[in-house]
Amino acid sequence: MSELLKVEALKVYYRLPQGVVRAVDEVSFSLERGEVLGIAGESGSGKSTLAMALAGLLRPPAVIESGRIIFDGLDLTKLGEGEWRKLRGRRIAVIFQDPGTYLNPVYTSGFQVAEVYEAHRGGRASRYVELVKDLYRKVKMADPERRVHSYPHQMSGGMKQRVLISMAIAEKPDLIIADEPTSALDVTIQAEIVELLKELKSETGSSIIFITHDLALLLEIADRIMIMYAGKMAELGRSSEIRDNPLHPYTRGLLSVLKPERKQKLASIPGSIPSLIDPPKGCRFHPRCPMAMPECSRVEPRTVKVNGRTVSCLLYEG
Amino acid sequence: MSLLNYTVYRLAQGFITFLGAFLLIFLFVRLLPGDPARLIAGPEALEEDIQRIRAHLGLDRPLYEQFITYMASLLRGDLGTSIKYGTPVLEEILARLPYTLALAFVAEALAVSVAVPLGVLAALKPRSLVSQLVSVLAVVGASLPVFWTGLMLIFIFSVELRLLPSSGAESPKHIILPSATLAFFLVGNLARITRAAVMESLSSNHVVTARAKGLSFNKILVRHVLRNSLIPILTVASVQLGALLGGAVVTETVFAWPGIGSLLIDSLFFRDYPLAQGVIMFTVGAFILINIVTDILYALVDPRVREILWKAA
Amino acid sequence: MTKRIKEAKRKRLLEVWEAFKANKVALAALCIVAIVIILTPIGSRIAPHDPYDFNLARARQPPSGEHVLGTDELGRDILSRLLVGAKYTVGISVVSIVIGASLGTLLGLISGYKGGLWDSLIQRVNDVLLAFPTILLAIALVAFKGPGVSSLILAIAVSSMPVYVRLVRAAVLQVVVEDYVAAAKLLGLSSWRIMLRHVLPNVMSPVIVQATYHMGLAILIASALGFLGLGVPPPTPEWGSMIGTGKVYLFSAPHIVVFPGLFISVTIIAFNVLGDGLRDALDPRARAMLRRF
Repeated sequence: MSELLKVEALKVYYRLPQGVVRAVDEVSFSLERGEVLGIAGESGSGKSTLAMALAGLLRPPAVIESGRIIFDGLDLTKLGEGEWRKLRGRRIAVIFQDPGTYLNPVYTSGFQVAEVYEAHRGGRASRYVELVKDLYRKVKMADPERRVHSYPHQMSGGMKQRVLISMAIAEKPDLIIADEPTSALDVTIQAEIVELLKELKSETGSSIIFITHDLALLLEIADRIMIMYAGKMAELGRSSEIRDNPLHPYTRGLLSVLKPERKQKLASIPGSIPSLIDPPKGCRFHPRCPMAMPECSRVEPRTVKVNGRTVSCLLYEG
Repeated sequence: MSLLNYTVYRLAQGFITFLGAFLLIFLFVRLLPGDPARLIAGPEALEEDIQRIRAHLGLDRPLYEQFITYMASLLRGDLGTSIKYGTPVLEEILARLPYTLALAFVAEALAVSVAVPLGVLAALKPRSLVSQLVSVLAVVGASLPVFWTGLMLIFIFSVELRLLPSSGAESPKHIILPSATLAFFLVGNLARITRAAVMESLSSNHVVTARAKGLSFNKILVRHVLRNSLIPILTVASVQLGALLGGAVVTETVFAWPGIGSLLIDSLFFRDYPLAQGVIMFTVGAFILINIVTDILYALVDPRVREILWKAA
Repeated sequence: MTKRIKEAKRKRLLEVWEAFKANKVALAALCIVAIVIILTPIGSRIAPHDPYDFNLARARQPPSGEHVLGTDELGRDILSRLLVGAKYTVGISVVSIVIGASLGTLLGLISGYKGGLWDSLIQRVNDVLLAFPTILLAIALVAFKGPGVSSLILAIAVSSMPVYVRLVRAAVLQVVVEDYVAAAKLLGLSSWRIMLRHVLPNVMSPVIVQATYHMGLAILIASALGFLGLGVPPPTPEWGSMIGTGKVYLFSAPHIVVFPGLFISVTIIAFNVLGDGLRDALDPRARAMLRRF
């Protein structure tokens, strides 16, 4: 395996009149070719902002404050819009959360998928109808011949997500960023989509960054998992390690929610994600942490390696 | 097929509205205080003259009989005979119609070709000078009365600069001032709507998808932003156009433009009552028709609207 | 209990005022509107000259110390005529819109709340009224009834009414599904009581905003009809008719046309800006947005 992506001390800030929101704060990780990296966290943890930063889709007031994103030797933070355009859709693709709103209501689904080919191979979109039908067969769309001519409002949520997935895999990209691809769908469809993503991954060989609040889902499909809390990385490790031996108290909290026998006692972690304009001093998790120590409210934990694993918690420092 | 169904349905509906409008005018004239016959005859007329006019207009017969007679001739396309010209009203209207159509379309085209680029620029740069200009123009343009802006334009371009003719329709140059007057009235509102529509499209998620595909800026702008902004722009532009066909009365009068609007005012001053009623009914009919065409245009632009409308029909 | 409701109402009004006050342009517009409305009763008392006193010897004089805005084609003082004319142009508009808005609101309430036959009847008539371009409907009414103040008021009131019917009906249909209306029904309150006490207050904000915009439109229509010679007959100094009779002197004495036009334009701009300001201040969603960013 070789390294495809390396993120170094990335900071993404929202500059608002009321203050600076540190949505992603000094996050570092790397991704191998063909690997599935899961990123888990509650809403507001900065995981979606991170996804948009990796795809070059941040919009003001969000800006990359500092840090580097090295993709196949290229520093993405230094790219102009023109260079990004050649990358997006061809080498880096995104699958979005709410398939309904991410499709344009006034065009047929087939045309919208064909636009990916048009953008990178030229010619008119209509030339690529057959290729789109092939894609629809690949994503197991029912009745692909007819569906290429359907408008989004004529399709179910699951079908629309398959359309977005077709767009993402059209050019067999090196990296697919899936931002909560299943959370807007109902449970049975979710399982189908996850199954499909697994198959496609082994077929295309793409690396996948899979972002979700659903840790159980990641334990099932991801090679490695990064846990984010309030813009910071809490912990990063192999799925099996995270499942069997979580290091960070926050990870333990997330896992305890999943275990049915303990559900009665610890239904969820008390409290909610703090304001990122004025985050708690020291460790951002300390107000909710069952294992908080006095110094947690003063000292900000560094990211440390413990037996080849990465964690940011004072329990493992010193 | 459904397009045909829908069109037929809307035409039938529009026809009923048109009949209602006719009934309304009919009742207004006859039931509200005020006597058209006396108005036509003038203040010094003798009572027998008034009686004669009343008989000539059929106003002395029972209401229902008047209504049926009127309806019958209306359905034959007969709008009555002009008192002043002695010719069929419809003939007078059709002779003036090309002028009104020309003025309305030139004015609207002028307004659209200024407002849409202005609105798009303002949407792309919401804090720029262009955007502030749009805000100011939206209020000022719609607030200044056209008869005054028209006169001011005449003062500047005809009186002071001696560049353009101030009245009549003898040459293509004559259309410049009246259409500019109307366009100034329309442009601000249209630009504001364009800005709002484009800003909304710009912030929608499907534009993020388009960017994620690697589409070029121009293609994103045209296909995924402008195309989606078309409906509100189209709505406003066609409502404006419909209003121009009947509402250019004032502008046509200022510039002595020989269209339907100035025909209406002329007919009122000559107390040519059948002509006035004919012009009004004709204009209402045109207005209703324009609204139907607008709805059909939406259907062609937005597949969702298409389905809803066709289901309704 | 009632005290608490009153307190809450006062608080909301105060909130709206705070939001409105922050908008300086709207505040300026409010001042202009206030001045113009105060002019309608007192215009003739503060006019420096008799607006009807003509003297051809001093006709078409440009602005001077004696006649600040000059004199018109008959030598009458233009400023005095404008001050007195507010009574007609603005007065007629206010009365028409009050009538049109009240009537439209009433019909909208009935249409939305009663439903059934009432609803379809009112809606059909409304559709027909909406099928007329506004100014054409006004011209038609004035033309067949003869010129004069009452025709003008009728014309503007009727042509502005349909918008309120539509607006209020839509608002009522949203409100009647709310719990408190259902509760009031269960308590056995009469439909009129429910409409006036529970439904009407909820639809007032959009009606007030719309009426403010309509004031601008009413002045536009009143002055346009005056300009066309279909409004208040001369020598009444209605602003539009001043332009209508003065337009033939555009070449030699443009000030006769310029000043009345400025009065009309500034007044209409003020009403429209005030409408925007009220809309923003009354719309809680817009307010919440402002607070957030």
